[in-house]
This record gives sequence, structure tokens and C-alpha cells, in this order.
Amino acid sequence: MQQGTARLDELNGAAGPGRGAPYARYVLGAAYDEMFGRDGLVHPHYAALDARLRTLSSDDLARRQQACEQSFLHQGITFTVYSDAQATERIIPTDLLPRIVTAAEWERVERGLKQRITALNLFLRDIYTEGRVLKDGIVPRKMILGSKHYRREMRGVAVPHGAYVNVCGTDLVRREDGAFVVLEDNLRVPSGVSYMLANRDVVRRAFPNVFRAARVKPIEQYPNELLATLKALLPFQEDVSIAVLTPGVFNSAFFEHAFLARQMGVELVEGRDLLVNDNCVYARTTSGLKRIDVIYRRVDDDFVDPLTFREESELGVPGLFNAYRAGNVVLANALGTGVADDKAVYAYVPRLIRYYLSEEPILDNVETFLCREEKSLGHVLANLDKLVVKAVGESGGYGMLVGPHASQKERDDFAEKLKADPENYIAQPTIQLSTAPTFVDGGVEARHVDLRPFILTAEETRIVPGGLTRVALKKGSLVVNSSQGGGSKDTWVLSS
Amino acid sequence: MLARVADSLYWMARYIERAEHSARLIAVKLESMIEQSPEEADASWMRVVAALTGEEAKTTDAFAVTQSLAFDRANRSSLVNSLHYARDNARQVREQLSTEVWEHLNRLYLGTHGETVESIWVHQPAAFFRQTLEDLFTLGGVTYTTLRHGEGWHFLELGRHIERAQLVSRLLDIHFGIVAPGYAQPPPPPKYFDWLVLLKFCTAFEPYCKEYTAALRPERIAQFLLFDAEFPHSVRFSVDRVVEALSYVAPGALPARRAGCERLAGRLKASVDFGQIDELTGGSIDAFLVNITRQCEQIHEAVYAAYIAYDAEAVL
Repeated sequence: MQQGTARLDELNGAAGPGRGAPYARYVLGAAYDEMFGRDGLVHPHYAALDARLRTLSSDDLARRQQACEQSFLHQGITFTVYSDAQATERIIPTDLLPRIVTAAEWERVERGLKQRITALNLFLRDIYTEGRVLKDGIVPRKMILGSKHYRREMRGVAVPHGAYVNVCGTDLVRREDGAFVVLEDNLRVPSGVSYMLANRDVVRRAFPNVFRAARVKPIEQYPNELLATLKALLPFQEDVSIAVLTPGVFNSAFFEHAFLARQMGVELVEGRDLLVNDNCVYARTTSGLKRIDVIYRRVDDDFVDPLTFREESELGVPGLFNAYRAGNVVLANALGTGVADDKAVYAYVPRLIRYYLSEEPILDNVETFLCREEKSLGHVLANLDKLVVKAVGESGGYGMLVGPHASQKERDDFAEKLKADPENYIAQPTIQLSTAPTFVDGGVEARHVDLRPFILTAEETRIVPGGLTRVALKKGSLVVNSSQGGGSKDTWVLSS
Repeated sequence: MLARVADSLYWMARYIERAEHSARLIAVKLESMIEQSPEEADASWMRVVAALTGEEAKTTDAFAVTQSLAFDRANRSSLVNSLHYARDNARQVREQLSTEVWEHLNRLYLGTHGETVESIWVHQPAAFFRQTLEDLFTLGGVTYTTLRHGEGWHFLELGRHIERAQLVSRLLDIHFGIVAPGYAQPPPPPKYFDWLVLLKFCTAFEPYCKEYTAALRPERIAQFLLFDAEFPHSVRFSVDRVVEALSYVAPGALPARRAGCERLAGRLKASVDFGQIDELTGGSIDAFLVNITRQCEQIHEAVYAAYIAYDAEAVL
């Protein structure tokens, strides 16, 4: 057993009544746990689920888990693995046990997310028009204009309601004290919302009585809210012709693109279905060409228009950007939003909230040290063994130092790099994501989770209660990404 | 409807029809084998292979032929490939299909793509194909009853019946036509039992008996499978559906764009509406059937030129 961790039955005095079978392997660590307090007692909002779990055998649970997986397989929520010229369908892993959030916790999260997206949209409008925030020296000019996600082409382009980010997926984690904090803003083309809805569908069937008794807030209205958001981008037009633009069937999120188009009742298009004539966008239909007004694009900035951005892109539509600039088509999200979700800008978001809204941030960031600031640099250099240092322009773990796991020599070498180019680095303490009960190998074990709510913004901001809970299925792992052994869970936000 | 979507629906239906045809031919053949002498069985395997691949059989061993026609991924027209292509097309237009249609087809695909000739041979090999056929019938019913009968539906109908008209024509040609030159060993002409099997290949035995009694006469069988107006697997029935579907697709297209397809389909319809079997004596049935296939291909090309792969400049 790891130091500082305790098995539940020990906390409760050797497998007391009700702490038997399902939780025999449940280990509480330093992280906050969604279901159990530090004393090993079940949080009140998990009581109904706990009661049900104690009546079910391992086989009962395994059967339910299997039913969930079958449903995913039949729906085609899968990716294809090729081996020996044989194509095998694998499902995106889903976990049977819901992650439960109280009404009070959610209320605060929702206010915090609205506040944050409002500030981020104001920031984006500012840097693509007046640049007040740069003149006032709140954010370094060089950092913004030098960012590879800053799109010079977007300067002065009119964006409906100033809503640059219409669909945002913000990753939240819980600190050890249980507070939700923001780990990352995804402002480009965030995905996962279809898994949120698919999880609800299967988990509700697995625990119908617990679900009904818990009075869970509905999320099924998401496609409708997304449609309302997209329509609101052309508020004065009667018939708005909307399309979802997908990179195509080989994209890993294709299921989601098709799902959203179907649920909204709009056309799903690929780049090759569209053409631009006289700065207007048309889809090729059997009856001829049909004008398109709003495009919910699930294609990255770089690939939307080979004439303006990457010329080798075959996913995009030549001339799309000019049509957009001319105001003849609306793109959601706007182009150039990626500048506001990189690691360096992230650290400034609390200051942006204060600057634009004159409010204190409701949701904290993970504590972040900007090495470009002298005081922080000193602190980072003195505490390299406790911090994770990341290069701001990089992603995927490149140019990163995980202090606690590095050797003295690696830390010394990294310190030299830091001193030479402090502007390029930020540092954060290692974060313990909270743990939640997860069905693994026939039993219920603690696994680390995060939460990605989806925030829709046009003339107003709409948030469906909950979001996608991602779970690191490997024991002890903090990596929730599906590409690295992560799965997902249904998220229940309670009504009261 | 997007041109790309119409394209996928059309091909999805063609591949489903092809899968159904393959499954039925193999099932009927495996079931009828026990009643045939080895020579008769070989001859009829040769006809099945020719009907499903357009090529001469390399072997007439039941196990090997079944492997090749049903499970061989290198054979483009194998049953598993037809189901695979049908499902691939459906996946690309997933948002256009009902959940019931998609999940039924997806389950059908997942259920067959792990099978091998060895795995089905252990029990009754024909049972696997009967089950697949039944699943395909259910798919047809689910499609009919859950999908809106709008433009997409008519593209499905168009694909299904263009494919069916060609498959039945080819099957008839193999039984009635002149054997193509180049066969090292031409199969012997069909006998009574072969005519029975031909009717079963088209689910036509019982409907034929209702019309003509159980007296199996080749010219009546040809009349029935070519010219019957009411039997769903006759060529005439399929041509009627093609004409009908064409009148509904691309509702917004101007008459000038519609003219090409409608002229070709009308001409084909006239030849099967007013055709008569006693005019097709000697070698002329062969030419007639080849002509039907060619006209189906022309209709296919005209549909693509008018509605799917058209030049955008022309309609701006």
C-alpha cells in the first residue's frame, strides 16, 4: 500500500457492514474523492448509488457494463484498429458508474464558466480590433502578436454579438480541497459532447431507479441549444441555412459530427460539398446549388481554406475565408480563437476577468507561475523539484520538465534553459485530480477524473448541466485522454 | 439533398441488393446440392460463380467456392465485401438514416465480418446464409417503415432496382443465353431441376406456380422473370421502380436537366412493358438481356451527370 493512502474498510474498522464486496479494493489517496469523505463515509449525494451498489453482485455490474459497451458498439461509437488486414472495431471506453455533482457545486461552476467565457470573448474582440488590453500593458503585446494562433487576417472582421467562441469545452479538475479549478480552456473545436449524451443514454438504463430518485438535471436539450446558438448568429434572418462541416468519415470525431447534424436536423457537409462563388458559399445538392449561411465547422483554422491558410489542405473550401470576411457566411467558432487558449494566455485569464468585468474570478486557475515575471522565475528556480515546467508554444508534453520525476542533472540543465529564455515557460504544481468510483476488473475502484462542460455563446451563454467526465482507467494514472487509456463517464448534476 | 449523400445512399442500396443476391444464390445452391449428381452440382456451381462474379469458375468444390463467393476479401463482389461497402456508405451518411436502419445494418455487418467458411461449415453452412438473408429482409422492412419516403428513399430505391435489374438479367443470360466463348469446358444446358433452382434464386418458385402451375417450362420462366408486372424480382418490376424513383429525385432540378435520365428510363421501360418472350427466340434473348444491362448502365451514368457529378459552372 502506498504511503498516505488508506483502504476504505480500514477506515471503517475492518470491512464493516456495507463496506464489503463492491469497495474491497477502493483506496483513498491524497486526492479529493467524489464519493467518500476523508473519514471514509459516503457523501450524502452518493448515498442512493451506494445503496444500490451494495445490492448488486460483481456479475450484476459486469452485465450492466457489458450492455453499455454493446450499445456503443451497435451505435458505431467506435474507432477502427487495423491488424493483419482485418479491421476491428473498438469502442471508446465508457464506465458504468455515474459521477455525481451537487446542485450547489454546479451553480458555482456555471457562474464561473459564464464569467470566464465572457471575459475570453471580450479579450478576443479586443485583440482583433482596438488592442486596448495590449496598450494598457495587461498582456504583453509580443506574446499575442507572436503567437502562432494569432490570425492577422481576422483583424477588423465583424463577429456577431462579439461571440468569437460559440462552443467552448473547458477542462475542470478538483483540487485536494475539493474546489473546482480550470485546467485548460478549449476554444478551437472542442469535442466530446456526443459521448456526454451517449453515456447518459446507457447509464440511465443501467440504474433507472437510482436515476429517477436522484432527480438528475436533463442534458438531452444540448443539440437544440446548439441549434439556437447557431441560429442566433444571424438574428434578423428568417430561414437560416446551417451546416456542420466535418473533415470526413476518417476523422476520429466523425461519429460526433454526424450525431450533432442529425440531432439538430441540419446538413452534414465535407469540404468537397461546398464551393464559393462571388463570395457566397454554396452546397452541391442533387437539385443544384444551395446557399449556406452558418457553418459549425469542426475543421481546424489551418485547414478551412487552402487559399488563405494551408494550401495543401483538402478538407477545406477554397475562398471560404473571403466569403467570411465579406460577411456572407458565419463560421462558428470564429477563426483565430486559439490564441486565447494557449498556456501563456491561460495564466492571464484571472487578470482578464478583473480587467474587462471588474469582478473577482469565481473559478480559480491552477496556480501558474509565469517565468517571464522576475519574482515568479526566482520561485520556480528554487522549487524545480516540486513543479511541472511547460514551454508555452508547445503541446503534447514536448519541452516539458516534470520536476518531481527528473534527476538533479536534468533539473540543472533545465534551469539554464529557463534563465536563457524565461518568456517561453510557465510552471505549475503537480495536480492531483479527484478520484471517483469506477468499475474495474469486477470491482469498484478509485480512478482520477476531470470534467469538461460545454459552453454555448451567441447573444447569451447557455450551458447544459454537467459535461463530459473523463476518467483515467489505469490505476494511479492522471492522464484522462482517450488516446492514452482514458474513458468517460456519465455526469449527474442533481436538481437540489 | 447533398449530391455526395445521394451518391452514398445509392451505392449503399446497390451493395445491400448485391449482398442479398449473393446470400440467396449461395443458400439455394448449398441446399439443392444434396439432390444433384456430382456433374449437375458442378454445372450449377459454374452458373452461380458466373452470375456472382462474371467470371469462369476456377473450382466447383463447394467449400472453396463458398469461401471465395462469401468470405474472400480479395474478391470485390464477395458477400462480406458487399456488406462492408454497404456499411461504409451508410456510415458516411449516418445522419441521413434512422437510428434503427443504421444499427440494424451495423449489427448485421459486425455479426458477419468475424465469420469464416470454416466457422460456418461445422454446422449447416446454408443456415448462415439463410440467417443473413433474413436479417437483410428485416433491414428492408426497417428501412421501409422508419425512413421518410423522401428524396433519400428514392435514391435508395433507384440503387436497389438498377442493381436488381442487372443481377436478374445476368442470371437469366447465364441460363438462357449463348455460353460466352472462351469457356474451356462449357456447362451442360440446364435441366428440370436447374429451372426449379433458377426460380428459387429469384424467390420466384411459389409466385410462378400461382401464375403458371408447377409445370416448369423455360419460356414461361423467362416470361415471368423478365416481363411480369407484379413480381418484385422481375426485370420489368425493377424497371418500373427505376422510372418511378427518377420522377421523385432532385425535385428542384429544371426539366432540361431531367430530360436525359427520363428519356433513357422511358425507353427501357417501353422495351420490357411491350416485350414478349416468343419474339426472343434463337439467340435474340441473349442480345435482349445484354441490352437491358447496357441501358441500366446508361441510366446510371445519366443520373451521375445530371444530379451527382455535375459541373457546378453549368448550374450557377
